Amino acid sequence: MKFFDLLETAPSDLLKWFVNLLAGYGVPAWLLAVISAVIIIGTVIGVFLGLFALCSVMERKILARVQNRYGPNRVGPFGLFQPVADGIKMITKEDLVPRSADKIVHFLAPVVMMIPALMVLAILPYGRGMVPAELDAGILYFFAVGAGTEVAVFMAGWGSNNKYSVMGAMRAIAQMVSYELPLIISAVVVAMIAGSLSPAAIVEAQGTFAFGFIPGWYVLTPWGFVACILFYIAALAESNRSPFDLPEGESELVAGHLTEYSGFKYATFFMAEYVGMFAICGLLVTLFLGGWQAPLPFLTIVPSWCWFFGKVAFVAFTMIWVRATLPRLRIDHLMTFAWKFMLPMSFAAFLAAAAWHYAGRGPLAWALSAVIVGVPYFILGNHFTAKFAVSNRRYQFSE
Amino acid sequence: MNDLLQKFNALPWDAIGQWLVLLPAGVMLLAAAGAVALRNLIHAALCLTLSFIALGIVFIALGAEFVGFVQLLVYVGAVAMLIVFAILLTRPSDLAGAMSPFAGFGPVGGILTGAALLIALLAFIFSSPAAKTPMPSMPVAPVAQIGNLLMLDFVVPLQAVGVLLTAALIGAAVLAMEDKKP
Amino acid sequence: MNIPGSGIVKGMVVTARNMLGSYVDKERLTTEQYPEERPKLPENSRSFPFLVYDGSDPEAGMRCVSCKICEKECPPQCIYIVQDRDAAGKALKRPKVFDIDIAVCMSCQICVEVCPFESIRMDTAYELSSYDRFGSLVLDKSALLKSNEYYHSIHPTEAAETDGRIEADRLKKEAAAAAKAAAAKKAAEEKAAKAAAEAATAPEPPKTEVQA
Repeated sequence: MKFFDLLETAPSDLLKWFVNLLAGYGVPAWLLAVISAVIIIGTVIGVFLGLFALCSVMERKILARVQNRYGPNRVGPFGLFQPVADGIKMITKEDLVPRSADKIVHFLAPVVMMIPALMVLAILPYGRGMVPAELDAGILYFFAVGAGTEVAVFMAGWGSNNKYSVMGAMRAIAQMVSYELPLIISAVVVAMIAGSLSPAAIVEAQGTFAFGFIPGWYVLTPWGFVACILFYIAALAESNRSPFDLPEGESELVAGHLTEYSGFKYATFFMAEYVGMFAICGLLVTLFLGGWQAPLPFLTIVPSWCWFFGKVAFVAFTMIWVRATLPRLRIDHLMTFAWKFMLPMSFAAFLAAAAWHYAGRGPLAWALSAVIVGVPYFILGNHFTAKFAVSNRRYQFSE
Repeated sequence: MNDLLQKFNALPWDAIGQWLVLLPAGVMLLAAAGAVALRNLIHAALCLTLSFIALGIVFIALGAEFVGFVQLLVYVGAVAMLIVFAILLTRPSDLAGAMSPFAGFGPVGGILTGAALLIALLAFIFSSPAAKTPMPSMPVAPVAQIGNLLMLDFVVPLQAVGVLLTAALIGAAVLAMEDKKP
Repeated sequence: MNIPGSGIVKGMVVTARNMLGSYVDKERLTTEQYPEERPKLPENSRSFPFLVYDGSDPEAGMRCVSCKICEKECPPQCIYIVQDRDAAGKALKRPKVFDIDIAVCMSCQICVEVCPFESIRMDTAYELSSYDRFGSLVLDKSALLKSNEYYHSIHPTEAAETDGRIEADRLKKEAAAAAKAAAAKKAAEEKAAKAAAEAATAPEPPKTEVQA
């Protein structure tokens, strides 16, 4: 028991010990604050870059196992040092910049892509009392900073001075802007029920156990389940992952807005995409899966940050699983899905959550909210998956 | 981590704080100048985006977190992208600066106009009631208070803006729809 | 009733079954971990030619007699043969130089088909890369000579057939030689018998100094 308690507070204890050590040497208070902030930031970034390295090889191995083959298994035990080999390759590649490319814009695009991806990691609660920045409007900060990614995608596409890059960038921006709406509305549903935009408060609000053993996570409610699925799909679209990877699909537009990037700049984009994916998985876990809360009351001895990273790993695994299963969506299918299916469903989830809250959160409320999300789902779903009758083709130009 | 937060809050923010506002404000002015003066249209659009970001940081540094984040979300995420899309889709044949009809006036006209505008704005701001009331203290849950104000005291303007936006959306959809042959 | 989204769930179940099954079922992963596991090539696979020798001494047991038919028939002309001559300058039935340029050889097997002495056959070795562009890809006689046992190990059916053919040829030759010897012996015996018979029936010739 004591050991698990020690583990739970280990990160903050280590930091406090180090800060007290420095204070013993007479370091002034303002410098201590700066140093502790730097240590926290460095740790968070280091952990996530390590997760990025692990995820890049685990993704390849999981995709391979699904496709009945081994993944990379030459470098290191079970191929786990593959990211080191990839890193060396990326660093030693020649950095090609097209002669007529806009040099400043082309250079700054990877930087502008990486900065929001790292900045959003500041508000996620990694454990009990372990939030790097306690913001009252944390969720809003996440989406506001995430908007910087779109600017970076545009800069990448434009700066390359390449028709296909510009087209890829425009499609990528259209996709990201379209899927931001269901994303934000799903997050707002949770904020409405939890009563706060602060991630720490949202996690605290999911700490109850119904009947003593069912966790009070929002994913286990009808509106929360639908909102979680919508958030998950929109998260896949925001990080340009399959099946929404049209902007960077190789068979579509070479690599879209990333065509003219080689070597370390491409590695930066790659890193930004994965770190963004982890950040959005972290937000999904915070909003819907209970953050650092344990699923059963007696499992709270396992440290809270273990639960958080375990859940994030599980969500990332499902993202890889989805990538292995589904083919790529066409751009018009993608936009139709966002505007005509996901947006109405997110409004339905919003209504269902409000109904659940105002009907007293009892059995009637559960049934009512299930009906409010279920009926639009079946109606819209059957409308879009129905087999359309074959009619005479209307030729647009030859008539 | 709470004592660290206390140490952080106990830093002499009043001395540092003004630089936290003045530096982004300076960047914003420079970026705005760039947005107006640069010849390359895309560079000008990106400078405008930078000025939006700097304005958002100014809001956050002044303590208005919600407004700052909304500024970043709406202006950088949507408006800047709209400007950029408009430039890309209506590609002028010569992106590097066509001559505007006011170019013949030279820099003197611009400076005079800017100075006149600045004096008028300062006069209006300092004579308004907002400048005379003292600054209220920071509420505990600012976002909740903004939400309450919007939904309870200012609900009619909110709904009016909503109707306006819906009309604009429908209008845009109608404009962009292709005419279907019967 | 059609539940929208059920197709995706079914697809994900298939994917998960594939993934988990690959840990349990060894037959799912058909990858061969080269270079630890080499692929099992079929018996008739071929890469480049080699020379067969019988017995244990390559030079002595070499089957090639330097007839140069393979050199003439080779389409890209990758074989180079120089016949061995003895000290007096008389041609011997063995090659002094036998080079094959495997950078040029197209593995058409024509040299094998035309060889009358079953001496050149196709090898199956394929890990022949070298850093040297031209030099180490020209195989000389010592590199090309490989034993009959090696030939049996790579192409057992073909080697058994070849050995059978050589054995049959040898038996035929021996039989022919034996028949010829027997016929010659019979002819000699007949001649001796005839001479003896003539000597027995003929009158005694006068004893002269001239002997036959």
